[in-house]
Amino acid sequence: MHISFLIHNAYGIGGTIRTTFNLARTLAERHDVEIVSVLRHRDTPVFDLGPGVALRHLVDMREDGPGYEGDDPAHRRPAKVFPAAENRFAQYSELTDRRIAQHLRRIEADVVVGTRPGLNVHIAKQARRGPVRIGQEHLTLDTHPRELKLALRGAYPRLDAVTTVTEADARAYRTLRLPGVRVEAVPNSVPAPGLLPADGSGKWVVAAGRLARVKRYDVLIRAFAQVAEQRPDWRLRIYGGGAEKAGLRALIDELGLYNHVFLMGPANPLEPEWAKGSIAAVSSSLESFGMTIVEAMRCGLPVVATDCPHGPGEIIEDGVDGRLVPVGKPAALAAALLDLINDDEARKRMGRAALAASVRFDPAMVAGRYESLFDELLARRRGHRLRGTWHRTRGALLSGAYATKDAAQSAVRGVRTA
Amino acid sequence: MTASTQLPATPPATPAESTTPTTPTTKEHPAIDQEPQAPAAGPDPARRPDPVELRADCIADSAGGLTFDLSAPEDTPASWNAALVLRLRGGDGADDEIRLPLGPNGSGRLRAVLPSTVALAEGRWNAYADLGDGRNPQRLRPGVNDLRSLVDRRPLAGIGRLGVRIPYATKYGNLALRSWLRGPHAEAGDIVVTPDGMTVSGRLYGASPAAGAEAEARARRKPPSTDAGRDRVTVPLTVEGQHFRFTLPYEELAGSWRRGSEPWDLWLRPAADARPVRIARLLDDVADKKQVFSYPALPVRAAAAQVRVGPYYTLDNDLAVRVAGPEEPGE
Repeated sequence: MHISFLIHNAYGIGGTIRTTFNLARTLAERHDVEIVSVLRHRDTPVFDLGPGVALRHLVDMREDGPGYEGDDPAHRRPAKVFPAAENRFAQYSELTDRRIAQHLRRIEADVVVGTRPGLNVHIAKQARRGPVRIGQEHLTLDTHPRELKLALRGAYPRLDAVTTVTEADARAYRTLRLPGVRVEAVPNSVPAPGLLPADGSGKWVVAAGRLARVKRYDVLIRAFAQVAEQRPDWRLRIYGGGAEKAGLRALIDELGLYNHVFLMGPANPLEPEWAKGSIAAVSSSLESFGMTIVEAMRCGLPVVATDCPHGPGEIIEDGVDGRLVPVGKPAALAAALLDLINDDEARKRMGRAALAASVRFDPAMVAGRYESLFDELLARRRGHRLRGTWHRTRGALLSGAYATKDAAQSAVRGVRTA
Repeated sequence: MTASTQLPATPPATPAESTTPTTPTTKEHPAIDQEPQAPAAGPDPARRPDPVELRADCIADSAGGLTFDLSAPEDTPASWNAALVLRLRGGDGADDEIRLPLGPNGSGRLRAVLPSTVALAEGRWNAYADLGDGRNPQRLRPGVNDLRSLVDRRPLAGIGRLGVRIPYATKYGNLALRSWLRGPHAEAGDIVVTPDGMTVSGRLYGASPAAGAEAEARARRKPPSTDAGRDRVTVPLTVEGQHFRFTLPYEELAGSWRRGSEPWDLWLRPAADARPVRIARLLDDVADKKQVFSYPALPVRAAAAQVRVGPYYTLDNDLAVRVAGPEEPGE
C-alpha cells in the first residue's frame, strides 16, 4: 500500500520526528512510504530516514536558499484552516493552508497519516475522497487547551481513526464520542540500539531529556543528595539542554553535589550514554509517552520513574523491569534508587527484564500494529462502500452539529461573562 | 580555507541568463500553482561536496585503543591502500598525519584500529577516510561512539606515559579525536570547595610521590609581578600510595589579585627535585570538561576588594583557579 505521512517539520529535532522516521523507515520495507513536511528550514534531516522513504516539503523556509518562501505575503497572513488554539499556529499561514489543501486534494495514497492535531484537522477537512484518514496524537488530549479540544471534536468525526501513544489517552479520546472513528493506542517505537546493552556494573544513574520544568530534575537532584549520602560512590548524569539549566546548576552547587551530579549537555545519539549507566531515572510530572524510558530499557537499564500521567505506568512493570514512585517526592525516588543501588543482583535481573520487555516497542512490532490497523480500515472501506459513505456523511453532519453547538455554548458563555 | 570555497555559491549574471525559461506569468499569485520543490530537483552541488556521507562507529577499550567501523557505500571496492587518516589540527609535520589500514570487516563494513601503543601528539585530530580510489580523503561523520570503557578508566599507576584519546563530534558534526600524551600525569578527582580554599584529591601516574612533594599554583598574568614570589603559591601534598590530596587556601590568591579575571594554573611536583606536572582531568569519556565539571566560585574578602575564587577546567581540561573581581561576570 501507499502510505503518506504529513508532518510539521521533518528537518528538526524532536520526539515526533524521530518516532515518525522510525515508523516510516520500517513500513517502507514492505510499502511505498512518503513523508510530506509542511516546513523545511534545513537541507538535510537531522535523523536518518533510510533510503526507502521519499521526503518532500510544502513550504521552503531555508533563509539562505534560492527557494525561500518565508517572505511571501501570504505567509504573513494568519492561517484559517489550521486551528488557532494549536501550539504551532504562529508558524502556519494562508500559504501553509493553501499548500496543505493542494497536497491533500491531489494525494494518491491509500492511507494518509497526520502527526499533530492541527494537521489532523487539515486531513479531516481537506483530504480527497479515497485514502483512509488517520490522525495521530503524540501528546495527550488532556493537555490541549479547551478551544483546541472543541476544534478536534468538530473535525475528527471525519477521520477513520485516531491513534494515541497510551491507553490512558485513548480512553480520553473515547469520551469525545467520535462515532465510527477507531480510537487505538499504538506506542511509539524505539529501534534496538546498535551497541551492547549495559552490564549493570557501572556506578552511574543516567537521566535524559530537555531541562524543562515538567521533567522535575530538581526533584531528581534532591533525591540524589540522599543517595550520595549513603552511597557516595554512585553518581548521576543528566543529559539534555534547556531553560532550567542555570537553576539546576545553582541547586547542585547549593546542595554541594558538584562531585556527584553532572549536567552533561545534549547528546545525540543517546544510546551510548544510556549504556554507560546502570540505572535510568525519570522524575517528570507528565510524560505523554516516555520515549526515554523505552530507550533506556532497550539498552538494558532498569528505570526508576515517577508514576505520572500518561506513559510510565504503561511501560514499566513495577518491581519487574523498573520501579514506579509517586510524583514530586525526592525521598521516594531516593529510596527506590537506593534499593537498586544496594542490590546488585536485583538491579542486573531487572536490567535483563527491561531488555526483554522493551522488545515490544521495536519498530517491526509497532509497524505491524499500524499495518493491521491500515488493513482493517482499508477493508472496511472496500467491503462497505456504502458504510464508508455513511461514515463520511455522518462525520460531516456531526462536525457541523458539534460546531453549531459549541458556537452556541460560546455565545452563551460570552453573554454570561459580558 | 582554499580559494575554491571562497567562490560565490551562485555564478555571476551572464547574458546566457536571458535564454533560461522564466516562470509563466499568471493572474494568480505565483505561489499558488508553484509546485513545492521536491528534493529530486537535485541538491545544490556547492552545499554537498561529498556524494556519500561516511559514518564511523567508534569503540574505545580501557587501555586507550580505539576501533573504527565504517559503513562503506555498497560499490566501494576494498582497496589495498584504503586507510583511516588522522590529521592533527594546525599541524603540518610528518608526525601530524597518521594512516591506519582500513580493511573489510564482514557485513560490508570497513575497520581500522588505533592501538594504544601508537603515540598521538596532544591536540585535536580530524578523522578522514581514504578509500584508496584516488579521490581526496573524505571527512568522516560520527556514528555511535561506545566509550563506556573510558567512563571510570583506572590505568595501572606504573604506566610510563599515559595516552588518552576521546572521540567526539565537532561543532560542524564531524568526527574528531582529542588526544593527550602525558607522563607523569596528575589526574584530578573530586574537588571540595569551601570559603577558605579548595581541596583536590587525585592520582599520580608514572611517578611516585616522595618527600618534598607539593602542589603549586602559578599566576598566568602578564606581565608577571615584580615580586615573583607573589605569582606562585605552593602547598604540601598528602600522599598515600598513588593517591594525593592538597588544600589550596584562597587567601593568598585573593590577596595578590590586581584586576579583572586572573587565572592560576595548578601543577604538582612529585618530589623536591622533580619536574612539575600539570594537574588535569583526562581519564573519562568527556572530551570537554569545562561545562560538565563545574564548581562554585565563592566570595573571598581581599585587601583591594571582594573577589570570587573558584576552580575550573581549561579548554585543554587542565585544572586552574580563577580569581575574579567584583565587576567580572561569574562563570
